[in-house]
Amino acid sequence: MGTNPFAAVTEFWSPLAMKVYIVLMIAAVIIGVIFDVSHKGSGIYFAERRKRSRALARNPLSSGKAFALAIETLAEAAVSGEFDKTPRRLSHLLTMYGFLLNVITTLLMVFVYPTATATPRVVPMLWMLGAVMVLAGGLWFFLFLRANVAVDGDSPWHLGRADLFIGSLLASMAFALVWHFAQARYPGTVGAYILFGLYMFFMTLLFVTVPWSKFAHVFFKPAVAYQRRVEEATGASDLPSPSTQNFIVRS
Amino acid sequence: MPTFVDMTRCDGCGECVDICPSDIMHIDPVYRRSYNIEPNMCWECYSCVKYCPQQAIDVRGYADFAPLGHKVRVLREPEKGAVSWKIKFRDGREKNFLSPIRTTPWGSIKGPAEYDPPRDADLATQELAHEPDALKIEGGLPALRPDQLKRGLI
Repeated sequence: MGTNPFAAVTEFWSPLAMKVYIVLMIAAVIIGVIFDVSHKGSGIYFAERRKRSRALARNPLSSGKAFALAIETLAEAAVSGEFDKTPRRLSHLLTMYGFLLNVITTLLMVFVYPTATATPRVVPMLWMLGAVMVLAGGLWFFLFLRANVAVDGDSPWHLGRADLFIGSLLASMAFALVWHFAQARYPGTVGAYILFGLYMFFMTLLFVTVPWSKFAHVFFKPAVAYQRRVEEATGASDLPSPSTQNFIVRS
Repeated sequence: MPTFVDMTRCDGCGECVDICPSDIMHIDPVYRRSYNIEPNMCWECYSCVKYCPQQAIDVRGYADFAPLGHKVRVLREPEKGAVSWKIKFRDGREKNFLSPIRTTPWGSIKGPAEYDPPRDADLATQELAHEPDALKIEGGLPALRPDQLKRGLI
């Protein structure tokens, strides 16, 4: 199980084809996000909001302060600090870091260590760990934390367009693990190649459906969070100022 | 003025769906963000506006008789026991209010099920369940003695 899963399918799917596939998927995400932003008009909305907040700014923002706000925003995003409830935050952190781990190790195994013998054992192990983390966090969210399931009364198995992102992510990671297991146990069999095909199908679905799924939130959520911090720092925020009084006087 | 949700702020946590007494805050099936499914039925209780952890919910008048341009923004700070309001009028005026909402820490109030069940003998008293302990009033609730009441009433 500690071998490079992509090196095991080179007869069926060459390393060059895998590299081209990954470049195409990166392009699909970039094009998808640009299409999503322009199609929904959120780019125009965001630009107008920036313009309005600049006009309302009472305190000028130095470049040093702007940089510090960007670092604060990244630090908040790194710990999913925007979430109010601990279960949602933990499930999001598991899914986010699991996905990052899986993607980074995939890039390593395809571009840096394309052969099985050259791949350090730790890389495929981290690849599997990433998939397990996505499944743990994602299934927790999918079955118990989805707002329409937990609060709106839908069945835990309810599927809608809003589930395109989490559904394709979960399916791709699940088939990644099953395929890796089948490839290690029954190498070169038709079943292993079918599982590899299913893994590739759901990975492709995840990346090419960006305009219709929630994938773009990975990019626009931090952008909006940064803009919100800028507005608070410049005095352009439409929110009330935090209270200077504490009314909690009893235990 | 019924509620509406700023989709860029909402993270779909569902707190507004849970708290809405009219059950009109729902989750959008496409974007999994909350929205008011029936503004005409909104009681304008502002529960969701105050409770939203992301300050994603604003209120606005019906566009057919109240031109837009105003804002009602709310910031809840449970750690300070406060809710702050910023009201922006269409002519640019702005008013700020600060409302104390509680004096005990958030989440410190016990629910009814966390108390012992009432005894049968409690039916004979004028106090409600768990009074006076739950009210934290030392020496019990202040009450008039019969000789302090107006003559003829008892």
